[in-house]
Amino acid sequence: MKRAMTSPDSAQPLILVDQVSLDRGNRRVLDQVSLTVAAGEIYALLGGNGAGKSTTLSALLGFLRPASGALEVAGIDPVSQHDQACARIAYLPENVALYDQLTACENIAYFMALAGAEPDRASMDRALDAAGLQVEARDRRVSGFSKGMRQKVAIAMAVLRDVPVLLLDEPTSGLDPRATADFNALLARLKARGTAILMVTHDLLGAADCADRIGFLASGRIVEEVRPADGIDVLALHHRYGEAAAA
Amino acid sequence: MTALWRHELRIFLRQRIALPALLLMLALSAASVWAGLAEVSRQNAVIERIQPQQAEDHAAVAGHALRDRDPGNAAYYTFYATWDRPSSLAFAALGQRDVAPYLLRVRALALESQIHESENYNAELALPGRFDWAFVLTFLAPLILIVLLHDLFSAEREAGRLRLLRVMAHDRRGWWLRRIALRAGLLLAALIVPVVIGGLIGGAGLAILGLVGIAALYIGFWVLLCLLVSRFKLGSIANAATLAATWLVLTLVLPALALLLINAAVPVRQGVELTLAQREAVHGGWDKTKQETLQAFLNHYPQYRDTRPVEGGFHWKWYYAFQHLGDLSVAEQAAAYRSGLEARDAWTRRLAIVLPPLATQVTIHRLAETDLAAQLAYQDRIRTYHRQLREFYYPYIFDERPFGPEEFKAAPRWSE
Repeated sequence: MKRAMTSPDSAQPLILVDQVSLDRGNRRVLDQVSLTVAAGEIYALLGGNGAGKSTTLSALLGFLRPASGALEVAGIDPVSQHDQACARIAYLPENVALYDQLTACENIAYFMALAGAEPDRASMDRALDAAGLQVEARDRRVSGFSKGMRQKVAIAMAVLRDVPVLLLDEPTSGLDPRATADFNALLARLKARGTAILMVTHDLLGAADCADRIGFLASGRIVEEVRPADGIDVLALHHRYGEAAAA
Repeated sequence: MTALWRHELRIFLRQRIALPALLLMLALSAASVWAGLAEVSRQNAVIERIQPQQAEDHAAVAGHALRDRDPGNAAYYTFYATWDRPSSLAFAALGQRDVAPYLLRVRALALESQIHESENYNAELALPGRFDWAFVLTFLAPLILIVLLHDLFSAEREAGRLRLLRVMAHDRRGWWLRRIALRAGLLLAALIVPVVIGGLIGGAGLAILGLVGIAALYIGFWVLLCLLVSRFKLGSIANAATLAATWLVLTLVLPALALLLINAAVPVRQGVELTLAQREAVHGGWDKTKQETLQAFLNHYPQYRDTRPVEGGFHWKWYYAFQHLGDLSVAEQAAAYRSGLEARDAWTRRLAIVLPPLATQVTIHRLAETDLAAQLAYQDRIRTYHRQLREFYYPYIFDERPFGPEEFKAAPRWSE
């Protein structure tokens, strides 16, 4: 069993996954998974299809109840105190589904209202600037938006939420290289603001650019955890895990 | 809070199906109310028109039948109008008013055939039923509600928004309730605004609130059904199919089966059979001796026992005696017919406890006074009035009191 590597601020992790096992039917999809993400830290969780990445996110969102182990988001159990935990989480799904009949700004206003906030137009524009959505697209209905544009709307929502924890599911999968670079820059700003960020991705090279730590998940277990800043050979890792992750 | 309602309204109204569905509901409701008001107005106009015509008719009879001052002639040729004015809510549920007469001109002859002979000529009206507001509420409104609510949850799941919504929504219960309330509320508004306006036009006053309450309860029932089906977590198409099948079973199949069972369990002869039986009895009167007929009549009206015996050919005493005996001869059948109808009605009310569409129909027709009970109450009033008419003429016929225009004018009038 591999224990989680300690985070920079391990005394107060905002995301805590401690020895979590989780079953779906008769199949164990997470097996004693442990990880922590501190305030101002980006953790990238890599793995192939079925490795348990999305299941880990679902558990942290309180949608799945672990068979054993403990989960905490900003000190709150997301399963037993789902609403309180969600109030501290911004979540960016892989495929951002918005209301096609609304404009980008109307979508943001609606989802933010659901979360109990009523941002004005100026703050929405600032968030959309940060997410990189063109000005002329903001008052268009999102039915004609590309995947990347939808993702930018969701990113703007995450920025506006101003919560301590950000969960990202394949955040750059629909973005072009320039948008990916912008997104990484945005993550860096959120990190500097003290946000704990957990991202699930296939993209090791992309993760190595922005993550403080990278955990490799295989068959429901974290098999290795590395810090790109320690000068590890990312290309070698890519050969070792990237192919499996891409499979 | 207000912002969320505004956002929900925008999301709903910008759906491709929402506005057409609401407009269709509004149009159907408005059309049914308009048709109901037109029908009620037509019935009221007929009732208003009958009264001066009745006066003209009586004047003509007075000029012709009273020349020889014979009360038998006057009673024979004079039709007396009775009517059952529609209630202020009848426009919403016309019920039995198209198949059962709301206006009947009776004579002092045998009554049963006069009451039931209308079943000969308007039976076809009973086949398609009336397009009234009660029909729109009971049968069409649930279908439109199903269109609006069948994918309330499933559409979010299928679009992939459910997770994001579950994470973002502070108050998920409130969010769903708001969404349901908005859709059902708008549908209800489209349904009841025309009927409330119709009620104001028709002078229903606060009684219209009864219809509004029933509509709200009935729509609430279908909302609960939609929510129940959504708990099975099927896809949108499966939800729609399940709800449509439920609609079919609850509004058409089960009530039709229930009607068949009730009709089989409580056999009732047709009113027209009663008419025939009574006519046969009346016509048989021509073949009986006058003495035998009069004796049978006097058993029921002993106050005329001293009447002068009838001799020779035709005499009104004999004629009115066998007319009344004709009614008496089918009295048991008439009572059985009525109690059969009442028994069927009672069974329908019992079934309504478990069939909300039936309960809705039954309650609305009761409120609108267009149900069987109202029809039978009108028949009771006709019977009472007919007895008053007969008993008005009997002293002139059997005691041979003098009868002239003044006496003719004193005949009882139908009172509303």
